[in-house]
Amino acid sequence: MNKKNYQICSNCVMDTTDSQIVFDNNGVCDHCDTFINKIAPNWHTDEQGKSELQLLVGKIKQVGKGKDFDCILGMSGGIDSSYLLYYVKEKLGLRPLVFHVDAGWNSQEAVNNIEKLVDKLGLDLYTEVIDWGAMRDLQLAFFKSGVSHIDTPQDHAFFATMYKFAEQHKVKYILTGANLSTECIRNPIEWMYYQSDAIQLRDIHRKFGQHSLKSYPVTSILHHKIYLPYIKGIKVVRPLNSIPYVKQDAIKLLVEKFGWQPYPQKHFESRFTRFYEGYWLPKKFGYDTRRVQFSSLIVTGQMTREDALLKLKTPPYDESTIVQDFEYVATKLGISVKELQGYMDAPNKSYRDYKSQDSVYAFGSWVMKSLGLEIGGKR
Amino acid sequence: MLRPRIIPCLLIKNGGLVKTVQFGDSKYVGDPINAVRIFNEKEVDELIVLDIDASSQQREPDYTLIKNLAAECRMPLCYGGGVKTISQIQKIISLGVEKVAISSAAIETPDLITQAADQVGSQSVVVVLDVKKNGILRRSELFTLNGIKKSGINPVEFARKVEALGAGEVVINAIDHDGVMKGYDINLIKSVRDSISLPMTVLGGAGSLEDIEGLITQFGIIGAAAGSLFVFKGKYRAVLINYPDRAAKDALIEKASNLF
Amino acid sequence: MITIINYGLGNIQAIANIYNRLNIPVVIASTPDELASAEKIILPGVGAFDWAMRLLNESGMRSCLDKLVMVNKVPVLGICVGMQMLARCSDEGKLEGLSWIDAEVKKFDESKFVQKTHLPHMGWNDVMPQRTDCLFRGMEAKPRYYFLHSYYFLPKNDEDVLALTDYNGFFASAVRSENVFGAQFHPEKSHQWGIQLLKNFAEL
Repeated sequence: MNKKNYQICSNCVMDTTDSQIVFDNNGVCDHCDTFINKIAPNWHTDEQGKSELQLLVGKIKQVGKGKDFDCILGMSGGIDSSYLLYYVKEKLGLRPLVFHVDAGWNSQEAVNNIEKLVDKLGLDLYTEVIDWGAMRDLQLAFFKSGVSHIDTPQDHAFFATMYKFAEQHKVKYILTGANLSTECIRNPIEWMYYQSDAIQLRDIHRKFGQHSLKSYPVTSILHHKIYLPYIKGIKVVRPLNSIPYVKQDAIKLLVEKFGWQPYPQKHFESRFTRFYEGYWLPKKFGYDTRRVQFSSLIVTGQMTREDALLKLKTPPYDESTIVQDFEYVATKLGISVKELQGYMDAPNKSYRDYKSQDSVYAFGSWVMKSLGLEIGGKR
Repeated sequence: MLRPRIIPCLLIKNGGLVKTVQFGDSKYVGDPINAVRIFNEKEVDELIVLDIDASSQQREPDYTLIKNLAAECRMPLCYGGGVKTISQIQKIISLGVEKVAISSAAIETPDLITQAADQVGSQSVVVVLDVKKNGILRRSELFTLNGIKKSGINPVEFARKVEALGAGEVVINAIDHDGVMKGYDINLIKSVRDSISLPMTVLGGAGSLEDIEGLITQFGIIGAAAGSLFVFKGKYRAVLINYPDRAAKDALIEKASNLF
Repeated sequence: MITIINYGLGNIQAIANIYNRLNIPVVIASTPDELASAEKIILPGVGAFDWAMRLLNESGMRSCLDKLVMVNKVPVLGICVGMQMLARCSDEGKLEGLSWIDAEVKKFDESKFVQKTHLPHMGWNDVMPQRTDCLFRGMEAKPRYYFLHSYYFLPKNDEDVLALTDYNGFFASAVRSENVFGAQFHPEKSHQWGIQLLKNFAEL
């Protein structure tokens, strides 16, 4: 069996740890190609973006007239949702309800950042706390399954909870901090399969879970891509895509204006995600999500390739604390360190080993792109 | 000089954190281990964790949970809930907990206080008085079993009694003020404060840092405990762990102490 | 390598946790054999003086400890009651202390107290180090620690006072005599200040 030779993109830093990667004659990968040819031409942060945003803001304000809030904004305490919150309140004059989903893994920085922003911006906060017993059981089931997308229980719950709230309270607009500036290059599906695939989630739970899923919020791709927007008129919008969003500048502003505490890496507002992306994924599967994040910053001119390569030389986790972090995750999951290590050492599986709706995703993605309804997206 | 203490109080029910209103109506707050970890990172003065259905369910304390919580604390931890025997107290202390709180056991078997003081030291023996106003004359009396069973016992007299028996600290928990967030029960606190010289901690009613400031202004060295204040935010009572940072805490204490 | 004495009292686990997180090797000794090669010793303690002395004397490690500390001059840090045990005797009890430092342990004089709350001395209080070359190295001028005690350590010699704390009058909150150190407060429960002190002890 021929093992693909190692190759790294000459433009960004994605490499053959993404097994589906394709390079052109100049050694430039298909992620870059997609960005240059499909994403960038349709991504407007200039006058066009501004007017699109103004239109959206007008609609949101209209719908929210006379209500306590005109939209909900998903807040994790991370840089994207934090900056978005500041921007929509201070610059666009919206009145969002700050919506936070607590999955039991908040870091101190995350709660501090949410508190500072909510207080200083004078906004209301709503928190949905996921039943920890159900979350723990589902997370453990994912560990047992051997797949690489073990952060699905958190991600899935975030979206399911927000949609449920919007539906119950007849909220028409959900604002999220998702953005092309730092996410135009996405984690390959092989690394992180679709977190919204309820069929996969239920199958893994059926095979390895012990708790009932009753108190865990489940959604589905059809529910939130078709039912909610087209039947219920609930839209998920990403305002950061319509403005010039530069990560370093955003951090600086938040630190100075709000006493915001930065994280060592993207998504580290959750202790679990920090462990998952910083240690589990690279150690068990060889997938380093920093490659994806740095590559996005490289193609958008926010980071040099040299700088990225230098950073990638050091491990993505803190060697002085990893033993305790490992212990903490085991303790939270209610298992021994030995058992957790056992899951680390067990054979690697993929989403294909369990039931899924991946054909639905593939079809839907094709439709959306053909209709020009979506740029970017995973592959 | 010694500082007043500002103490988050966490309630555990079925292994999860909850917050009550007047000892009823419990709202789910989440995983205790992560909450304690966050409080530790926020460098809180100390922490009280009470298992609120251990007594009524007549079961042993959850030693695994206690051990895991103690491991996260670089500040003193006081644990209570269902503690009735000296061996339970010793076991809890051995798991890394500084103080053990007893409530109904102090009423039913007051000798336990003296026994515990002899073995683990009085500094580790905390007696919690759950107090509610009852009867036509709205007299304060002690209640047990989560505020359901009345005892007919006057809190001031009982506080004196437990001091004499060797307790190291008294916690006054005003049931009527629990979760309401409209201020501490100052009269109750004063009546007990004037009658004993033990360290005192008060719980029930704190709705803002101003309430804590007012408490310190009035009583000086005291433990100001709060549940809802450090766990909820805003009009929707959104769960968000919060606690003043060192600068804010020092400023609050300094201001209040200067007025004391 | 830090050796924590396990004679039945004190928050051994909390101290061990801190050293583990600092990646400093730590062992817990319950027998003379486990103690024999100790390079630095921690003597924890909580509770009453006599009870603690009795447990230590009955632990089988007493004579080994005396030799290591007094003859071999192994550094030792007594914490809370562990510090009080370093003295010759205590108002709280009848038994003799370790006498590793020429001192007595006295009860606070409550008649001097201005506040309604008297004893135990419970809570966070400032510590004023008299020297900054050993336990309090690299710290801010007035570190704070958590205290939980009703008796205080009174050394015969002023030079043995390593730090002072004010509780209705100053008392020795930390002491040092050659290789023998004592901390009246709980460094294992005093957040960053405690972690720094325990780290300093390990790095002496």
